Amino acid sequence: MRAVTRFVKSGVVGAAMLAAGATGASAQDSSDPIRIITNNWTSQLVLSNVLGQILQAQGTNVEYKSSDTQLQYTALAGGDMDFQVEVWEGSQAEAFEKALAGGAVDYGAHEAVTREDWWYPKYMNEMCPGLPDWKALDACAGKLATAETGSKGRFVGPPADWGKHYSERIQALKMNFQEVPVGQAATLWAELQAAYDRKEPIVLFNWTPNFIEAKFDGQFVEFPVYEPACLSDPKWGSNPDAVYDCGAPAKGYLKKAGSKQLGEKWPKAAAFLKKVNFTNPQIAAAAAMVDVDGMTPEDAAKKWIADNEAVWKAWLQ
Amino acid sequence: MTSSAAVVRPAAARAPPLDLIAMVAVLAALLVLAQLVPVFDKWPEALVIPVRGWVTDFFAWFAQTAKPVTRAIAWLLAQPLALVEALLYRGIPAWKWPPLPWPAIVLGAALLGHWIGGRPLALLCGLASFYLALFGLWPDAMQTLAIVLVTVPLAAISGLLLGIWATRSRRAERVLNVIFDVMQATPHMAYLGPVVILFGFGQVPAMLATLGFALPPMARCTILGIRTVPRDVIEAGHMAGCTPLQLLWKVELPAAERTLLLGLNQVVMQTLAMAVIASLVGASGLGQKLLFSLQQLQIGKAVEQGVAITLIAIVLDRMTQAFMRRNPQRIAPGTPWVRRHRYLVAFGVLVVVTIAAARMFPALAIYPKELTLSYGGPINDAVRWISRNLFPYVKPIRDSITIWLLLPLRDFYLFLPWPVVIGIPAMIGWHFGGWRLALLPVGLLGFLMLAGFWTPLMLTLYLVTSTTVLCVIIGIPLGIWAARRPLAARIINTVCDTLQTFPSFIYLIPVIMLFQTSDLSNVIAMLAYATVPAIRFTYLGLLRVPQATVEAATAAGATAAQRLRKVELPIAFPEILLGINQTIMMALAMVAITALIGSRDLGQEIYKALPGADTGRGLLAGLGIAFIGIIADRLIGAWAQKRKKELGMG
Amino acid sequence: MTAPAKISCRHLWKIFGPDPQGFLKRHGEAPKDEDFARENYIGAVRDVSFDVYPGEILIIMGLSGSGKSTLIRAITRLNDPTQGQILLDGNDLLKATPAELIDLRRHKMGMVFQHFGLLPHRSVLSNVAFPLEVRGAAREERETRAREMIKLVGLEGREDYFPRELSGGQQQRVGIARSLAVEPDIWFLDEPFSALDPLIRREMQDEFLRLQKLLRKTIVFITHDFDEAIRLGDRIGIMKDGRLVQLATPEDMVSAPADDYVREFTRNAPRDRILTVGAVASREHVPVNGVNVLASAKIGDAAALVLSSDKAIAVIDADGKPVGAIDRKRMIAALYPDGAR
Repeated sequence: MRAVTRFVKSGVVGAAMLAAGATGASAQDSSDPIRIITNNWTSQLVLSNVLGQILQAQGTNVEYKSSDTQLQYTALAGGDMDFQVEVWEGSQAEAFEKALAGGAVDYGAHEAVTREDWWYPKYMNEMCPGLPDWKALDACAGKLATAETGSKGRFVGPPADWGKHYSERIQALKMNFQEVPVGQAATLWAELQAAYDRKEPIVLFNWTPNFIEAKFDGQFVEFPVYEPACLSDPKWGSNPDAVYDCGAPAKGYLKKAGSKQLGEKWPKAAAFLKKVNFTNPQIAAAAAMVDVDGMTPEDAAKKWIADNEAVWKAWLQ
Repeated sequence: MTSSAAVVRPAAARAPPLDLIAMVAVLAALLVLAQLVPVFDKWPEALVIPVRGWVTDFFAWFAQTAKPVTRAIAWLLAQPLALVEALLYRGIPAWKWPPLPWPAIVLGAALLGHWIGGRPLALLCGLASFYLALFGLWPDAMQTLAIVLVTVPLAAISGLLLGIWATRSRRAERVLNVIFDVMQATPHMAYLGPVVILFGFGQVPAMLATLGFALPPMARCTILGIRTVPRDVIEAGHMAGCTPLQLLWKVELPAAERTLLLGLNQVVMQTLAMAVIASLVGASGLGQKLLFSLQQLQIGKAVEQGVAITLIAIVLDRMTQAFMRRNPQRIAPGTPWVRRHRYLVAFGVLVVVTIAAARMFPALAIYPKELTLSYGGPINDAVRWISRNLFPYVKPIRDSITIWLLLPLRDFYLFLPWPVVIGIPAMIGWHFGGWRLALLPVGLLGFLMLAGFWTPLMLTLYLVTSTTVLCVIIGIPLGIWAARRPLAARIINTVCDTLQTFPSFIYLIPVIMLFQTSDLSNVIAMLAYATVPAIRFTYLGLLRVPQATVEAATAAGATAAQRLRKVELPIAFPEILLGINQTIMMALAMVAITALIGSRDLGQEIYKALPGADTGRGLLAGLGIAFIGIIADRLIGAWAQKRKKELGMG
Repeated sequence: MTAPAKISCRHLWKIFGPDPQGFLKRHGEAPKDEDFARENYIGAVRDVSFDVYPGEILIIMGLSGSGKSTLIRAITRLNDPTQGQILLDGNDLLKATPAELIDLRRHKMGMVFQHFGLLPHRSVLSNVAFPLEVRGAAREERETRAREMIKLVGLEGREDYFPRELSGGQQQRVGIARSLAVEPDIWFLDEPFSALDPLIRREMQDEFLRLQKLLRKTIVFITHDFDEAIRLGDRIGIMKDGRLVQLATPEDMVSAPADDYVREFTRNAPRDRILTVGAVASREHVPVNGVNVLASAKIGDAAALVLSSDKAIAVIDADGKPVGAIDRKRMIAALYPDGAR
């Protein structure tokens, strides 16, 4: 019994000392680890590792925390995690805004832009002349029909909860299509791989930058060009009675996000992270090392750091 | 045989006509009613009770209020995990302590295997651990192992305590039984939602979700074990003058040891079954890497990682099983300490030697990357080859099943008015078990309807029915075949074992490549899991037909087919029914997994609710699946019981 | 047997059902068979009273379902009786607190079970030492005592064996050794030899008698085997449907069965080895000459003498005083009660 109390006591003392150490060092960057969020796609993983490794080289402690794309914003706002390198406008804008209202901090945009929309492999250009125009695709619906969709063309859509309104778009544009939402991204790629190998027609949801462009040759379908009014004013566009009669923005932002305490506890690191700025080619190259060359994200990050010294040295100034 | 047949016939002749006519009449009336009064066709959206919102709000409020408590619990659980992680792969950098070198763990596993189960087990343990190093999965595997090593004792101890409590209080047992029924019928994934809200993302929440899932079997085994300790042994304990505590620790628990170890075995298997799913809430390790591989379409790599999980599961399974079979050994008096503890000593020496050696040869500290192998490439190619070359044959089958079976069935289910859907199981329940059993489906399904889950519920029922029908068509003949030929039995058993321990996520990708994102893909993915019990129970049911009965039938001049149809199948029927019951449970468990393919059923509701922290939606959808399982279980159980009684086997 | 009773049971009831106490009260503490049947209660022990005297072997005999098992569990409080009184050395056992009960079991009672009740995970030595272990005896002390007990029952050399490695008879020897380890005053044996083969059973009965000669315990012994009861018991109580039908010495029971049920058991009893000459002799006096028999002699031992004599032979007590006479006719009637009728 006595041994137990002694153990507990020493634990308490230890914790108190740790806490004292943490507050004492507040003038400099804290020795606590910065918790960098990792998601489950390549570019994000490699970029997170790039930044983590640079920070570590500067003597900052870093911890990687894997998280879901939606929940990470609650964690950022609540101070449970500290930094996210890829905030996508198309799929995460809403949750990101909410997090900003809840205390998270906008760490600025990358030069890279993002796009999320309907996408098809290049060999379909011969099957459906007129692509990438959406009207040509609509005319080609019969070739994309399956047993389940009947006479309608099959569009392999994103997971239903990703907040896209493709069924509405199909209706608004009076397209002869049906959306079949998948459960997760892996399903999209399995569909694409299978169709690609068999040279079958397929139209599916895709985004850039990601590893798909390195492995598969294809392009986005061109819908009526996006304007904010399209989503708010039914009169806008070809269908006077409906919204969503347009494509998605072709140049969505890619931002960085941090927790409130990031700037307070690690001012030097925060200044660096604010300056971080990746371009589309840089991101694609980073992802390709993993997806095409089969490296681990850690090794890919190491190689990227070695290859792009000038780039990241500038961010540290 | 004659006497039981005599019992069956009048019962069969008496029961159906009246009952059946009455039931059909009621159903027809309900159908007509539905056409006349819309409320009795589809429950109006406006009358849906916003339970899910309440649950979500409650959890959000609770999470906020209980934050200090949940944080404290998370911190507490993180400590043992940190210790194990430090030992296995992290080391303590601050003190310049290295983690255990990989040869120490590989050989240590072999040593442990030898201690528990002799040379064969030692070989299995050693080779399986070496696989982890050889295929470059070491750190991930150690992360997974760390979670397992911390979660298993935690789940085992909490299950044990709950089980003990249940044996001490009848009321506690009743309450716990209901809770465990629901917990076990709720898909793994539904646990993640509340846990994420309360504990956030990462290893500890994953541990807690696993804990919730792995605990009921342990508690059940504890109850069973203590209840089945022979009365004489308990009374001997009483008469020796044991206090209640002494009785528990010195008599009941040791005497129930085997059943308790069975529970432990279940805990281990459940924990590993959660390994992949838990990575959806941020548990790192093999499961996370596996999902990542799938995300990158690297099926081969995913298979390597899946095999690693399976190997860990097999090793731990065999270890606990061997431990269960072990008998206490006589130790000759005067055996020296070193000899009595030779395994411990050997392990100590091993650790010291490997750590020293690892200082000189870094390859012994961390397995060098250059020496790792991979068979992922060929598997990738094989899967793509299959998708390319088998597709032309699969496509017509796929299309005809979709057009002629699945789509009509789906439309039929969606057409059915709700009173009919609720009425059918209620009537079946009334027929087999009286009004109590009739009220169960009314209450549970009614609740789901009022909570606004009707369409996903019907789509779930549709998928589960389709799967069950196909499982029966496939599983029963295979079971019969296995019961006839020992060789077939061995092959089928091996295939079944593999199917059940291999992480189900991996099947999904090839299935999608061949069958696309469709209901058929869902059905086939469920099929891979759910056929197993249909096969197993048919096989076991046939094996348990009394030898004398079979011989009597043969002596009476029955052909093999007659014997099967008239003697063996009827006697094995209750057992086969239980197999179908299990099939339904498995199919339901897979509903949540198939959500990853894409569907609109309750599984999808769970999956969708996960990232949005929409606890009410996920939890209620999980309960919905549990409800279907419980209803099926009770109805089929009552049916099997009735048949058994009629056969004089109850 | 004038010494005060070691155990006294007074109006003991054990009733199974939803509300046994209420049931008893409703029927004025004396429910009848019809009451049990009507209300679906089971009267496993019904109004049983008896005394056990120090050093005596009392056998409770009955067929399965007669309530004998429930009775011994009521006396030991393994199952608390519904109503009644059990006096142990004059103290009411039913009023004992759990702590007192544990203390009593640790020091005064020992019990042997039909299926041995050995702890499968413990060696023979550890099983025998178990009661001492739970009462807190030091390792040295309890193992010494356990070794003595093991030697007493003839199992030396098997101390490190596990129960699964022993035969049934050997396992029960362990059970006996364990029950004696705490040196109890009162020894309960619940069908201890029923699970054994007939030959082993016989051997174990002899062993039991040998031990009792040595130890002189007060014994309550349950059996369903009338032969065993007669062979071992000082007195036998026969139970039927929860009631104690007759409690008597073997001789009284054989010579004067209380009812047809008891008579049915006694019919095939070895009368020659149970009845004494004194019990079957007439009270008439015949002159004591050279030939006479002791009243306490079993009739089987006197049979040859009596049957070969044409005249009645005098029966004398231990002091040589004549107490009666026995002739051939009486002897035949005593040996073959059915044939004589």
